[in-house]
Amino acid sequence: MQFDVLYRPAHALARVWLQANESVVAESGAMVGMSSRVHMETRSGGFLSGLKRMFGAESFFRNTFTAHGAPGELLLAHALCGDMRVLEMTQAGFFLQSSAFVASTPNVEIETKLGGFRSFFAGEGVFILQAKSASPGLLLVGAFGGIEELVCDGNMVIDTGHLVAWDATLTYSVGKSGSGWIASYLSGEGLVCHFEGHGRIWIQTRNPAAYGQDVASLLPPRQG
Amino acid sequence: MQNALVPAQGGGTRHVISHGPSFAMLRLDLVPGQTVVREAGAMVARHRQVAMEVKLNAGKSPGFFATLKALFIAMLRRWIGGETFFVNHFNTPAPGSVWLAPTMSGNIVYRPLRGETLVLSTGAYLAHSGDVDLKLKFGGLRGLLSKEGAFFLAVSGQGELWFTSYGGIETIDVNGSYIVDNGHLVGYEGELTFDIRTAGGGLLGFAASGEGLVCEFKGRGRVYIQTRNLQSLVGYLTPLLPR
Repeated sequence: MQFDVLYRPAHALARVWLQANESVVAESGAMVGMSSRVHMETRSGGFLSGLKRMFGAESFFRNTFTAHGAPGELLLAHALCGDMRVLEMTQAGFFLQSSAFVASTPNVEIETKLGGFRSFFAGEGVFILQAKSASPGLLLVGAFGGIEELVCDGNMVIDTGHLVAWDATLTYSVGKSGSGWIASYLSGEGLVCHFEGHGRIWIQTRNPAAYGQDVASLLPPRQG
Repeated sequence: MQNALVPAQGGGTRHVISHGPSFAMLRLDLVPGQTVVREAGAMVARHRQVAMEVKLNAGKSPGFFATLKALFIAMLRRWIGGETFFVNHFNTPAPGSVWLAPTMSGNIVYRPLRGETLVLSTGAYLAHSGDVDLKLKFGGLRGLLSKEGAFFLAVSGQGELWFTSYGGIETIDVNGSYIVDNGHLVGYEGELTFDIRTAGGGLLGFAASGEGLVCEFKGRGRVYIQTRNLQSLVGYLTPLLPR
């Protein structure tokens, strides 16, 4: 299997080359196009995990695409304008912000986790995803804006709305940005994620929630 | 990745603007003793040693009334939109970086200030360093007809300024007069004077042409415009919303 990311960085499109009988798992709604030998199968992975995913602002179902009997291709896109990145699975795996998941090889286990109690107030990151695999695999993540890889060497503070993914070797905690709650509120930062340890962090250069709030505040109120 | 490394001269702040022009992000590398001020809400990431302090922007060494006025304007701006005008001061005991980005898609511009004044529209200010003063400027009564024209921010002094645009940014060197749509204005140099008026003149023109308010600049100097307009996006989206 091979992932190519085209039309970077503003409107990335991923082309997945599948060998005969190879499969790829993708987020519901991500499919743009596919060759005719590729068949789609929808799975919730059990009612409970589907329900958990729904709370994580993802879809209840995930789709498995399989190239039956012959090689095939599949095109995938993210909902927002922005870049995509292919991550090679590591032993420790990754944590993902819930809307960053686009696709993965079928051996990658994606589990929904509670992102931390405090993040509840931010309306984002209530649930995060953990990607793990016992064998080599690929993970495709999507972002709003550009994707920048930061190396955490000690500790870093990142706005929760700008997080895409991070190495599971890092420890993290969600908390306030400033020294006190009032200062944090006035600073306009809301909640941030404190990272400790050594590992990579991928960030997106735009914050989808902040963008939505900015534009929505200028729109007329919803009726009914 | 298009990493445009712009070396700052004369002991300025080392900075990198990346991911432009659509989704630009600014990285500032701070050393001890250096302070960078930026708009509240724009932080993407920072090293933990970089300390952040929230302050009300009331200009340099304000008196009691200046502080009160700044607080009043901060509240007013919160109500009408735009920056709240609380600013965050960053400084660090050990070298560290801070990453900043605006909310809308667009670019970031670096501009050294050598004593001149640059006037920015609402939302265009991102950060500054050095001996720079920020003053709110009332856009006049006509400016109140549009959100963008109600307030401007006059930035002056010796230092560095980073500002942002919605979309790409274009510079226009005005010599004589030039007309810019209010919503596309990012900023202008202080020597220029301008008048806010309707594009075609008259109230009917204002309502029917779809051009809204324009700024007519006079004099000699540079005007910065952005290739997209937030009010137009809102105007496009509004009729598409479910009823």
